[in-house]
Amino acid sequence: MRRLRFLPRLGLRARITIAFAVGALLMSAVLAGAALGFARQNLLDQRESSATARTYQNAQTVNRALPAGSGSTDGGDPADVLASLQTPSGSNPVLLVNGRWFPLNPEFGEDVIPASLRDMVRSGQPARMRFDHDGTTQLAVGVPLPAVNGAYFEIVSLGELEQTLESISISLLAAALLSTLAGAGVGWWAARRVLRPLRGIGDAATAIATGHFDTRVEASDDPDLAPLAASFNEMAMALEERIERDARFASNVSHELRSPLMTLAASIEVLENQRGDMPDRAKAALDLMVADIERFRQLVEDLLEISRFDAGVMHLDLEEVRVDELVMAAVTTSTDVDVPVDIDADLAGVVVRADKRRLSRVIANLLDNAAKYGHGATRVELRKNGDAVLIAVEDDGPGVTPEDRDLIFLRFNRGTSAGHRRGIDGVGLGLALVAEHIRLHGGAVWVENRTGDQPGARFVIELPTEEAT
Amino acid sequence: MSVGTRILSVEDDERIRTAVKLALEDEGWAVEEADTGEEALNAFQRQPADVVLIDIMLPGIDGFDVCRAIRRVSDVPIVMVTARADTHDVVAGLEAGADDYLTKPFAPKELSARIRALLRRVRSTDSGSSHLRFGDLEIIPDEGVVRRGGEEIHLTKTEFRLLVELATSPGRVFSREGLLERVWGYGYFGDGRLVDVHVRRLRTKVEADPANPRHVVTVRGLGYKLQA
Repeated sequence: MRRLRFLPRLGLRARITIAFAVGALLMSAVLAGAALGFARQNLLDQRESSATARTYQNAQTVNRALPAGSGSTDGGDPADVLASLQTPSGSNPVLLVNGRWFPLNPEFGEDVIPASLRDMVRSGQPARMRFDHDGTTQLAVGVPLPAVNGAYFEIVSLGELEQTLESISISLLAAALLSTLAGAGVGWWAARRVLRPLRGIGDAATAIATGHFDTRVEASDDPDLAPLAASFNEMAMALEERIERDARFASNVSHELRSPLMTLAASIEVLENQRGDMPDRAKAALDLMVADIERFRQLVEDLLEISRFDAGVMHLDLEEVRVDELVMAAVTTSTDVDVPVDIDADLAGVVVRADKRRLSRVIANLLDNAAKYGHGATRVELRKNGDAVLIAVEDDGPGVTPEDRDLIFLRFNRGTSAGHRRGIDGVGLGLALVAEHIRLHGGAVWVENRTGDQPGARFVIELPTEEAT
Repeated sequence: MSVGTRILSVEDDERIRTAVKLALEDEGWAVEEADTGEEALNAFQRQPADVVLIDIMLPGIDGFDVCRAIRRVSDVPIVMVTARADTHDVVAGLEAGADDYLTKPFAPKELSARIRALLRRVRSTDSGSSHLRFGDLEIIPDEGVVRRGGEEIHLTKTEFRLLVELATSPGRVFSREGLLERVWGYGYFGDGRLVDVHVRRLRTKVEADPANPRHVVTVRGLGYKLQA
């Protein structure tokens, strides 16, 4: 279905609410229109027939009061006759006798009466007509008086009626608005009811996404919802099984790879003990093996750590740690013990909740990264930033281009520039692990330009402090 | 120093066992091998070793059971070898009576350092006194004897060293890092679970009610202390 482009995308709940409101509006508009029309017709009919009846009655009175057949005005003065008539306010009689007009109210004389009505009545035909005068609707009723060669008219104002109809229509409009609102309310409530099971499924999906793989939605006995809940639970179960299988696989791989590595690590140590007795070529080969067994070990370690994240089985051993002590210990046990560490004075004693060994691996990875791609770390900075702690590692290398700044934290990705350089033996897991570990610690990591307008990269870790959490 | 110190190495993978034996012998230890739990227990019965190295994943009797069986008859230092450090294996192994653990693959030189730390003897100069008293608790460092209410209780060597370490400054709070360094010889990144499980084991022996310890007290967020 094509969506009209100028309409904003509305949610299901909004659409159901609007549909109910529009339905209520249409229905109340039709009902109000019909009620108004009916009332109008009824009131007009009533008013017209009562005005007509009175006019006939008054015409008869006039007929009796005036001398019959006479063309003269003797006997009864038409003005006196008119004044003696019983007319309600808003009703203005006009009398025509022998071609002379006698209005009771000078403002409502013969010229107010439409000419066509006058002509029709003078020709001997009783008639009535609605017309507009000075903005108000008037009704004129005329009865011919052949005995006095004239006619009797009454001009009745319908303004009062219009006012009544107007107030009725205002009430009806208000009622229509109210029922529209009520319709919207019912729609909103109904949408909520309908969407509640969907929200339950949404919550379950969120729980699964955050690692609670055993989450299921409650089975429903509603025939419309049961298949949805059932298929969702089936999907969740399949996902959980798959993740468990992956986790088992990672654990198996762990054991299988560690055993040969153990043999290699022990054997290489025996060979190293004999290094002094070896010819130079054997020494060179031994050194290569030592270095690559270490690389192999690190790679297995990193891969297993990553697969633990994927299986959602990563658990941190969190404890309260003084961040300055941790960073100092991490630097002194790393491969780059000489890098200067600047610690902000007000950071003394600031405590973070962290997995000591994993966080030190993070810092070691950043130092390692600086050594491989940034000509070595130039400085480690540690300072407080509001409720958080910033740990920054700066290097002297070419820096990281803005388009690489997110990419380098992905697995097996060393950034476009780093990939072309030779002699770099990283596999591109170090920064991915940094990102995963920091995320699990509730912190953030990013890379920016080195401070002080010097070339180089600055990797920053932000960790929440204990006071903040 | 440790020439003649005998290590019983229990490992079912033959190549690992052989490589570790070669490397440990280079470090100056005498190594006896066992490839199953049953064989390890038999060998230990024939002639108790000075240190036992046990791989947790063994066919038949597993490493935990071997550990418990040896603990029943001996206070010898036991080092467990696990495949992974982040599982429950570590705590289970320590609770079965192991003194320390290593994760495969480890460097045999690291293992040697661990063993040397575990074999360190307690002397009265460490504690400053030849006779220490904490209420009903009596510690004689030189003889390696602890009595509660006059009755001798058996501690492993590591439990004993932990107790004496705490006894050097009664009432002072020792951090887990400090205890890890002084008892196990670890630096800043030692595993604090070693201290926690050993304190737990120690309490079951020296406390009348281990659930409500009177002597070995936890100071939340700081560490442990010993009091009368």
